[in-house]
This record gives sequence, C-alpha cells and structure tokens, in this order.
Amino acid sequence: MDTNKNTYTVIYTIVMVAIVATILALVSMGLKDKQQTNIKVEKQMNILGCAGLAKDAKTVKDRNTYVQDEFKKYITEALVVNSDGEILKSETENLDVSDAFKVSTADQFDIIRKMDGVQDEAEKEKLAKQIQLPVFVCQTPEGEKNYILSGYGAGLWGPIWTYIAVKEDGKIAGALFDHASETPGLGGEIVTDKFRSQFTDKVILEGGEIVPITVVKGGAANAENNEINAISGATITSTAVQKMISNWMDLYKPYLQKIVSGSAPAQTEAVAETEETIKTE
Amino acid sequence: MAMDKKIFTTPIIKSNPITVLVLGICSALAVTVKLEPAIVMGISVTLVTGLSSFLISLIRKTIPNRIRIIVQLVVVAMFVILISEFLKAYVYDVSKQLSVYVGLIITNCIIMGRIEAFGLTEKPLPSLVDGLANGLGYGLILVIVAFFRELIGSGTIFGLQVIPQSFYDAGYMNNGLFIMPPMALILIGCLIWIQRSFQKEEKK
Amino acid sequence: MEALNIFVKSIFVDNMIFAYFLGMCSFLAVSKNVKTAIGLGVAVIFVLGVTLPINYLLNKYLLSPGSLTWISPSLAEVDLSFLSFIIFIAVIASFVQLVEMVVEKYSPTLYSSLGIFLPLIAVNCAILGASLFMQQRAFPSLGIATCYGLGSGVGWFLAIVSIAAIREKITYSNVPKPLQGLGITFIIAGLMAIAFMGFMGINI
Repeated sequence: MDTNKNTYTVIYTIVMVAIVATILALVSMGLKDKQQTNIKVEKQMNILGCAGLAKDAKTVKDRNTYVQDEFKKYITEALVVNSDGEILKSETENLDVSDAFKVSTADQFDIIRKMDGVQDEAEKEKLAKQIQLPVFVCQTPEGEKNYILSGYGAGLWGPIWTYIAVKEDGKIAGALFDHASETPGLGGEIVTDKFRSQFTDKVILEGGEIVPITVVKGGAANAENNEINAISGATITSTAVQKMISNWMDLYKPYLQKIVSGSAPAQTEAVAETEETIKTE
Repeated sequence: MAMDKKIFTTPIIKSNPITVLVLGICSALAVTVKLEPAIVMGISVTLVTGLSSFLISLIRKTIPNRIRIIVQLVVVAMFVILISEFLKAYVYDVSKQLSVYVGLIITNCIIMGRIEAFGLTEKPLPSLVDGLANGLGYGLILVIVAFFRELIGSGTIFGLQVIPQSFYDAGYMNNGLFIMPPMALILIGCLIWIQRSFQKEEKK
Repeated sequence: MEALNIFVKSIFVDNMIFAYFLGMCSFLAVSKNVKTAIGLGVAVIFVLGVTLPINYLLNKYLLSPGSLTWISPSLAEVDLSFLSFIIFIAVIASFVQLVEMVVEKYSPTLYSSLGIFLPLIAVNCAILGASLFMQQRAFPSLGIATCYGLGSGVGWFLAIVSIAAIREKITYSNVPKPLQGLGITFIIAGLMAIAFMGFMGINI
C-alpha cells in the first residue's frame, strides 16, 4: 500500500485524531469523580488543618474517608457572610456541599482586584457589597469555638491562599497557607509549620479594629508587635501573604467584631433578611 | 532471549540516556528536590517511553512518512495525558508537586529519541523493552540526584527525618543550596565524572 | 508596569534554564560555538513570542473550565483542560512547521541561517514549558502572557549564548579527562545558575 498518498495521509490523520480523542474523553470522564473528590478532600483538609485538626491525615490509610469524617465531626456550621458582617446563608447539614464550601475565593479576589483600581468611593462600596465571605465554625476537641476564615491573593508567580482560624477573643488559633506555583524552597516555604506557627496567638482584632500583621525581613520579628519573620529570599511572597491577610481581614472586620463581642449569630439565630440567591462556582 | 537481555541492560548504565547520551535532562532536574516525586516521575517516563515505543512500532508500517513526527507527538501526548489523569485521581499530592513537569514528558527527548532510533524500525516487543530500559536508566539518575538533594538539603528521606536532632543541636545545618536548582546541575556533572572515570578503568 | 516586571523576572529570576532546567537538551547540544547558539536563541525567542499568545487565547476561550460560555451559556460545565497538553504541542509543532515553510519560500538567506534550528525547536521543552507555566500561573491578560513568552525567550537566549562563550574558552583549559565535555558543562551551568540566583527578589 502506498502510504505517501495524500488521501491516505488525510484519512490516517482523521482516524488517529478520532481514536485518540475518544480514548482521552472516556478516561477523563471516568476519572473525573475521583479527581474532584481529591480536590474537595484537600480543601477540607486545609480547613481542618488551620485549626490544628486532622493531624493524622498524612499517615492514615484511607485519607479521604478520614478527612471527610473529621470534617463532619468538627465543622458544625458553614456560613456565607457579606462585608457588612451580615449572614447571607447558614447551613448545618451536609457542609461539604454547602454554599459556603462552594464559594470560590478566587472569584472574590477578582472583585477585590477591581476595587483596587476604582477611585470612586460609592463604586467601591458597590463592589464590596458583591463579595461573599465563607466562614466555617469549628468545635475543637478542647471545647473551644473557632471561626475559620478564608483568603486568596496573588503571590510572586501564581495564586496563594490561606485559611485562618480565629478564636472568640479575636486571637488567631492557627493559620494555613498554600500556593500554586511559588518557587520551591523559597516562596514555597509558606506551607511549612515553621512559617505557619508564627501566626498562632497573634491578635487579629482588638478594640473593634483590625490589628495589622506585619512581615519583617531578617528574622528580627518582635512577636509582641504582631510581627512575623519573612522567609529569607522570598520577600515578594512574604509581602504577598501580608497583603492577602490585610485585604481579607478588612472585609471580614464587621463579622469579626460580632464574633468578639459575642453576638456572632449561632445556628439558632435568624439568618439576615437580605438573603439572596448565593452565587457559587 | 539473550539479545533481549542486552537491550534491557545496556541503557541502564552503559548508555544511560542522561549521563551518556544527554537526553531528557529538561524535565529531569526540577523534580529532584524530594525523592517521592522523582520516583513517580521516573515511573511515568518509563511507562510513556515503553508504551509509546511499543505502539509506534506496532503501527510503524502504516505511518505516512510526511507526518511521522506529528503522529509520534500525538501518541506520546496521549500517553502523557493518560498518566497525568491517573496521577490526579490516585496520587493527588504527588501530581501537585510534579505540576507542569508531567506535561513536559511530551517533549522529553528520550521518548522521541527512542522512537526514532528504535521503535520505528524494530519489532514491537524489543521496542517495549528498549523503551522501558531507557526509562529506568533515566529514573535511576533522578533517584540518585533526589536522594542527595533531599538528604543534604532537608535532612529527610521520603519526608522522614533521618539526620538526628542531636546533630542539629551540635550546630549542623541543612544545606539550603541543595534545594536550589544549581546544585542539581553540579550533582549531575559529578555523576558523569564518576561514571566516566569508572568506565575508563574498566577498559584497561 | 506589571508586564515589564514579568518580562524582567522571566529573564533573570525565573530563567528557563537556570531555574527550571527547560530546554536543556538543545542547550547542551548546540552550545559549542557562539554563532550557532545565537541562531538557535533567536529562533526560540521568536517561536516563544508567537506561540505563547496563541496558546493563551486557546486556553482562555477553549480549554479552561467554563471557558466555552462565549458560545452558549449551557456549555459552562464543559471542562476540556485534559486536552491542553495535546493542543499546546500541536500548536507549537504546526507553527514551527509553518514558519519553516514560509521562511524557506520567501527568504532563503534567513532559512540557511535559522532554518536548520526550527525542527529542533518543536521538541524544545522551554517552549511547551512556557505554555504550561502560563496556564498554571493564570496570567491576567494577553499582554502579560506575551511579555512572559518574550522574556523567557530572551532569558534562554542569554543563557545559551553565555555558556557557548565559556565553552569556547574552556577548550583551552586543563580539565580532568573524565570530566571533559559534558561533565564540566554541567558544572559550569550550575555555577552560572548560582550567579543568576543573585537576581532573586528584584522587582520593578
């Protein structure tokens, strides 16, 4: 057979593309559920991890079940709040499919970015109104109540994100950071315990105002002044962490005030009347 | 059978794709900061080289010569996508660490090189063996480099602490340079040095 | 401003070769003299500068999850991202082929100086790598993606030309025999990478 004919080449290409596309589409569809579970479990693990829970996730055999069980056990409520501190939605059942869980912090960050570029105050206000902030209420084994807040920002190369567990007295119980593509060994170090643990017990809200957390270079941080040591060689990523926290805490401020003053609505209280249909991913 | 054995053993050390033929360094070094991703990368490359060599060899008589390269790329890309999908589903953590480097297996010169040099002319089974062996030779170097980088750079093996705390108390420190990219290049340079001086002795 | 920042950073800080080891194969093979190194370097800049914006648009309007809504809102659920490897490599391979044909037809002088390098580029990891990084880093605009492509190309050009210059000189030095050639080149590349680390943290 003459394999150099034009018609043969064209037919060959078409058949090959069709076969390859079918195989790939089938495999991709078949594995999709599993991949999405992985992504979901990772998020649950991050949420639990910032409050110091699900510690055995690295060693247990069946991690997915373990994490999902722990999530069910300790996370008692999932809320969506707005930047005025009003609760738009509160759920206590099936939290892994709750609206708060589905809120895409990346989308909220797009709005924050837009706000940065707007000068007009009224316009800014309008954008701030659109923002939806997820809050997860966590009942720790020690009987404390932690409020887990989210954050998302731009690092040196790609997105970075965080979960911060706040205690009822306005102090941080724990924080967790992750990144998509920071340089390994440098910016990538934000995920390490060494960096994370510095945030524990830092004050986030005092006297109704947000206390800024500052990242300082050269290991000279004074813990009393709410200072954190930057990662050496990764100043940009460290500053990005600082900026991300300040951005999101400003938005969470009204809600944080409610937490600290003790009027953060528990499950029994009525959901704010302004409940809208909540946009999810 | 004896011939098959030779096909299998030569590429692992004597004509190792990385240290002797200098193929496929591209994606090799970036995944060697830790052992675990290095091993997964080695296995993935071995599978892709073997399977694509095998498949190309099976259909070698039907491929129109003009679009040969494209056909090879499509076959390789297909296997890489399959591997990437399976990694995402079953070892999600590792797939996150490997990030874009899984995709870069496509342009790994070892694969295209073996297909061109072996798969296109030989029978399917020897091609499979040849591909697998070359992949293993590649994986071997990755693992050696990753072993030293993880041990000296972070004091761990497979993420487990192996350098005892008493060392750190006595003033020992992890060598951060080993985590940085340059050290991988220098390590490979040294590996080539060792291997070449060893092989020369053998000849004598 | 951000575009300029990305441009400078991709040349010096996140240099394709020294930070990510991408395009190592041709980097080692074609760096024996400065003249050919310049030819290949220019070809890489050109191909990167064109394929990156193309792949950016493909990624934005075809591949990433929910990107098909511009056709019809009902397609929001479709996620074609598993096809991205194959599409990116197809774009690169066909673009390289196209350029080769155009250059051959209209400018034989350019073809004789640049043309021989073009086939090498289709399987250069730096090209596919840049597209994959672009996808992973989710650059906000087409302009920034283009700047990243050009910057990575210039960084690669700089790396290959400087190492070629060093290699031209090193032939006159007294290097231990087993280390000659490949081994020493790796170590030089490692030392250059350490030098490039000095640029870390620059910001405009």
